[in-house]
Amino acid sequence: MPPKRQRKIGRWILFGSMMVVAVIMLYPFWIMIITSLKSESQFLSGGGFSWLSWSTLTSVIPIGQEVLSSTIVCSSSILIILCVGLPAGFAFSKLRFRMSTVVFLVIVSAMMVPLQAILMPEFVNVTKLGLTGGYFGAILVYAALGTPFSVFLFSTYFRGVPDELIEAGIVDGLGYFGVTWRLIVPIAVPAIATVTVLQFIQIWDDLLVGLLFIQNTSERPITVGLAVLSAGRTTSIPALMAGSIVSAVPAMVVYLGFQRYLVKGLTMGIDR
Amino acid sequence: MAEITFDGVTKIFGDDIRAVDELSLHVDDGEFMVLVGPSGCGKTTALRMLAGLEDITSGSLSIGGTVVNNVLPKDRDVAMVFQNYALYPHMTVAQNMGFALKIRGQSKAEVAKKVGEAAAILRLTEYLDRRPKALSGGQRQRVAMGRAIVRSPQAFLMDEPLSNLDAQLRVEMRLEIARIQRLLGVATVYVTHDQIEAMTMGDRVAVMRGGRLQQCDTPQDLYDHPRNEFVAGFMGSPPMNLLRVGLEANADGIALVLGSQRLDVPTSYCSSHDLPTVDGPGVVFGIRPEDVEVLDASSSDSIMTRVERREALGAEILVHLSLVDAEGDNAVIVNDSGAFVARPTRLVAKMGPRSGVAVGDQIQVRLNREHFHFFDADSGLSLRRNQ
Repeated sequence: MPPKRQRKIGRWILFGSMMVVAVIMLYPFWIMIITSLKSESQFLSGGGFSWLSWSTLTSVIPIGQEVLSSTIVCSSSILIILCVGLPAGFAFSKLRFRMSTVVFLVIVSAMMVPLQAILMPEFVNVTKLGLTGGYFGAILVYAALGTPFSVFLFSTYFRGVPDELIEAGIVDGLGYFGVTWRLIVPIAVPAIATVTVLQFIQIWDDLLVGLLFIQNTSERPITVGLAVLSAGRTTSIPALMAGSIVSAVPAMVVYLGFQRYLVKGLTMGIDR
Repeated sequence: MAEITFDGVTKIFGDDIRAVDELSLHVDDGEFMVLVGPSGCGKTTALRMLAGLEDITSGSLSIGGTVVNNVLPKDRDVAMVFQNYALYPHMTVAQNMGFALKIRGQSKAEVAKKVGEAAAILRLTEYLDRRPKALSGGQRQRVAMGRAIVRSPQAFLMDEPLSNLDAQLRVEMRLEIARIQRLLGVATVYVTHDQIEAMTMGDRVAVMRGGRLQQCDTPQDLYDHPRNEFVAGFMGSPPMNLLRVGLEANADGIALVLGSQRLDVPTSYCSSHDLPTVDGPGVVFGIRPEDVEVLDASSSDSIMTRVERREALGAEILVHLSLVDAEGDNAVIVNDSGAFVARPTRLVAKMGPRSGVAVGDQIQVRLNREHFHFFDADSGLSLRRNQ
């Protein structure tokens, strides 16, 4: 068989395999969408089209408020994670100070502690601070959980940035704050995007912290809202699917928006 | 614009690593000073102290008459060109060049004017809107230069700025940097390990080794009158031939003992040099490769050698010669205190491209008596008086 034809067949096999994978990946989304467009009875009987589940969803839980709460908690936590992780990563990778390696290892080792292991002590602490009512307790917990990873990621990223670049900025007239803000932040966009996407998905999808630390029902996040929806005496599957779509869309948008940076951010350090 | 003075400047890393040891050096206003030396000689550390990127352990460093030991880099008014250019990747060429002016609060119009002028000098006008990623190595190097010159600083500091370029571009940029420096007349300290750059660019060259300044002179003086064995061996390509030899009295004065051969030393050297006594520890005798001449016939001032290796470089041939004794064996030289240093002495000679010498040939060579160099066998210092 001529090599050109061999290559063509190979490409078709690859394309076919990718199509199968795509179908497997997208099938749950498809089921979610079509199920949400049925009433309860249509779902049980198998046919028909209805917006009823969407109106049920909006009447049973304050979906708009919950999306807003999730957004506030998510963005605030990520802001803290970035504000702490970026300068800390810069300091650990570029500045010389006593015990820096030990402090770095202690921070990074915190990545290995599972959420469940520290949940109760955290809850006690946050309760003592009186922050279990609204967003603040959850924001602090998410920020504390996400910061070690971001410090690790940023420091790895900055190790690949030549020292001369920073020194050029210093000779040009910048202080360390200026260097960080005007040189390092623009260069670190892939790392910032990576931290943002990974933390967003993790925080947005998390149920446990939101359930425990946000006790005001008017401030609960979307995941808690969906849990409430599914925990009723009778669960409306189409309404739950509609809620799941609302919950999944922001994470998908953030992921797709940052995906080109994400690959670069996740593979950084490998080719240096 | 200003002059720069290192006065006994020392830099110690950790507890005991002396990167720069008691460096005293003066750079005149508008002068192009090259710091040259092998890796780890302290030249880059000296430059970084001048830029304010390293603290000074002791000594004083002044720019324009002001001691800057404790002055922040941004307040020293010096511009630095780095080895890997250190261009800001997220900025265009124009933004890179104008960045230092911008953070000093100069107006947009003023920044644009100065960037435009610098770009014209550096022939970068058509690339002003490009990012560094879209430039060639030579263009990036020119942008790095541009970033320095727009500031009209008191001094330029350059840390091996040509080492990442290919050989041809390096020659071009060497001329370009020298041209721009002369045009602007700003005191420049240029660090390199390449002695050709040092010789061709510097008004004066400071040779460093092990953190210490070995010699600071004009390139020609450095080449003609090296103050010690290290400078003699470092400057010049190929470097000076350095042979450790004994001295012997003869009817006219003294002669060099080259195995079983003797080479008369002109009497003028006895008055111009502090040569040791004939029975002393001997000296290190130096002769440049271009001062080794091949003869067709034997003469009183020639020595017999054998061709060990030849390297054809196109315009010239480098011939590696070993001294031979009467039997044609490699010479063994007796050195001080009766100790044997079994050292088949080698000479490198530069010959014309058409010379027909072949490996294994025994040939007579004459060493140019005008350009003998003598160094102390122990300290390595030149024995020339009135240095």
